[in-house]
Amino acid sequence: MRAIRIIAVNTFREALRDKVLYLFLGFAVLLMASSKVFGILTVGDQDKIIKDLGLAGIQFFLMLIAVMMSVILISREIDSKTVYFILAKPVRRWQFLLGKYTGLMATVLVNLVLMTLVLVFFVWLYGGGFDPRLFLATGMIGVEMAVLVAFATLFSVLTKPILGSVFTLAVFVVGHLSQDLWLLTRHLPGSLGRTIVSVLYYVVPNLERFNLKTEVVHQLPIPAGAVGLAVVYGCFFTALVLVLACFRFEGKDLQ
Amino acid sequence: MSEVQLRVHDLWKTFNPGLFEAAVEVLKGLSVEVEKGEIFGFLGPNGAGKTTTIKAVTGLVIPDRGEISVGGHPHDSMQAKRLMGFMAESPYLYHYLNGREYLCFSAQLLGIESAEIDDRVESTLAQVSMTDRADRKMRTFSKGMLQRIALGQALLGEPELLILDEPMSGLDPIGRRDVRDIILAQKERGVTVFFSSHIIPDVETVCDRVATVIGGTVRGIGAVRDLIAREVESYEVTFTGLDPRVVTTPVTSAHQGSDAAWARVDAAHRDSLIRELSDRGARLVGLTPVRSSLEDLLVRQYEEGAAS
Repeated sequence: MRAIRIIAVNTFREALRDKVLYLFLGFAVLLMASSKVFGILTVGDQDKIIKDLGLAGIQFFLMLIAVMMSVILISREIDSKTVYFILAKPVRRWQFLLGKYTGLMATVLVNLVLMTLVLVFFVWLYGGGFDPRLFLATGMIGVEMAVLVAFATLFSVLTKPILGSVFTLAVFVVGHLSQDLWLLTRHLPGSLGRTIVSVLYYVVPNLERFNLKTEVVHQLPIPAGAVGLAVVYGCFFTALVLVLACFRFEGKDLQ
Repeated sequence: MSEVQLRVHDLWKTFNPGLFEAAVEVLKGLSVEVEKGEIFGFLGPNGAGKTTTIKAVTGLVIPDRGEISVGGHPHDSMQAKRLMGFMAESPYLYHYLNGREYLCFSAQLLGIESAEIDDRVESTLAQVSMTDRADRKMRTFSKGMLQRIALGQALLGEPELLILDEPMSGLDPIGRRDVRDIILAQKERGVTVFFSSHIIPDVETVCDRVATVIGGTVRGIGAVRDLIAREVESYEVTFTGLDPRVVTTPVTSAHQGSDAAWARVDAAHRDSLIRELSDRGARLVGLTPVRSSLEDLLVRQYEEGAAS
C-alpha cells in the first residue's frame, strides 16, 4: 500500500503541475456563460437547464481528463524511462500501475468535487435551491470515470498514447450506446454482424447505468437498488480491467 | 573464496518488435559473476547486449531463459531489489520536480523512515555535489546535473550493489572525474559496482575486473591487467651495432636513431631477432613487451565475432 500511495501522490502532483485543475476553471466559466445565454432564451425552468448542462459538462470535462491524462501520464513514464528508476526499487509492477491509477482517480475526483460545488452554487443562484441529488448524479459520474480511467490504464500499457486515447474514447462512446447495441443484435440480419455487436455489448461496460441526469434534472424517483447495483457493476468492471492491465504490464519488456 | 554479489547465468533474450519485423536475438547465453566489493566493468560496442543485461538484472526486461541472482536472492525479489541501486543510461527524470523533491520521492519508494529522509537526502546531495542546485526544477538541469541526481537516487538506499549503465557518457572531464571518484568511494565502503561503459580509459582506471561483451555473449573476463597481459603480441627491441635495415628476421617496423636502433617484432620472432643480434655482434639495449589496450582487445574480439 505504501508504494501505491507514494506513486499516487506523485502522479497527482504531476497532474496538478500540468495544470489539469484549470479544466475546472474552464467548466466554471462555461457554465457561467451558458447560464447567461439560456437565461435570456428561456422562461422559467432555468435551474433545470443549468443542472442538465452542468452535469453534461462535468461528464465531458472528466472524460477529457480520463482519456487524455490517463494515457499520457502512464505512457510518459514508460517513454521517458522514468519508470526504470521506480521499478528498479522495491516496487512491484502492479503497485506502480495501481499507484498511477489511484493518482489519476484522485485528480479526476478533485476536479469532480470542485465542478460539483460550482454546479450546486449556480443552481442555487438561479433559484433552484439546494438539490442534494446533484451529489448523487455527480457521484455516479465518478463511478463511470473510475471505469473509464481503468480502461485508459489498460490501453496505456497495451498500445501507443494516441491509440490508447482513441480506444478509451471509443469505450466511452460505445459504452453510452450499449442499449442501442442490444437492440441492434435483435435486428441485424447476418450472424457475423450480430456476433460482433454482441461481443461489443458484453465487453464494453454499459455506461448508461451510471447516468442519473434525467432523474435528477426532472425530479424523477431514483431506485436505491439500481444505484447500488450500478456501483457494484462499476467496481466489478474497474477491478477486472485493472487486473488485466496489471497482468499485461507484468510481462511487458521496458525497452 | 570470495562471495558472489551478482550472478548471471546463461541469459537469453530475443525481442520481437512486431508482426512484420524480424526478431532480434540480443542475449545468447550470457553468463557473468561479480564478486562482492569489486568494481566490475561491462565493456562492449553498441548493440552488444550490455544494457539488455542490466535491464534484465534490474527487472525491466524479462529474459527468455537464464538465472539471475543478487546477493543470493532471485533478482526480481524484493530482497534483491533492496540490495540494488540503479542508474539508467541518459536519465530522464521528472521535469516538474526539483532535485530535492525527486530524492525525497525516491527515498519514500526505498522505504526509508520519514524521520531519516531529510538527513539521507542532504548527505546524498552532498555526495553528488548538488546541494546548492537541489531546489531547481529538473527541467532546468544540464545533462551532467541530471546524471548526478540520477546517481544520487541510486546511492540513496545505501545499496550493496550499484548498477550503473553508461554513468560517464555525455559528461565533461570534470563530471567524469567526479563520477569516477564517487564509484571509488563506494568501493571503499564495500559496495560492489557493476557498470557498463564505452569509455575505455575510465574502465581501465577504476575496474578490478572487466567482461567484454560482443554479440550477446561474454568474450573475455578477468582483471584488466590479466586480460591485456595475455595479449602481448609484439616487442620493441632497442640495440646498437647493427643497421636495422639489414636485419633478416621479419620485423613489423624499424628505425635508426642517433644513439640506437629500434625495431618492433612479433612475439613469435622475438627469440630469432635476439639470436641474430647476438650472432652479428650487435648489443641488445632493451626489450619492451607491447601490450594491447582494452580497446585493441575489444576491436579484435568484435572483428573475430563479425568474421565468425
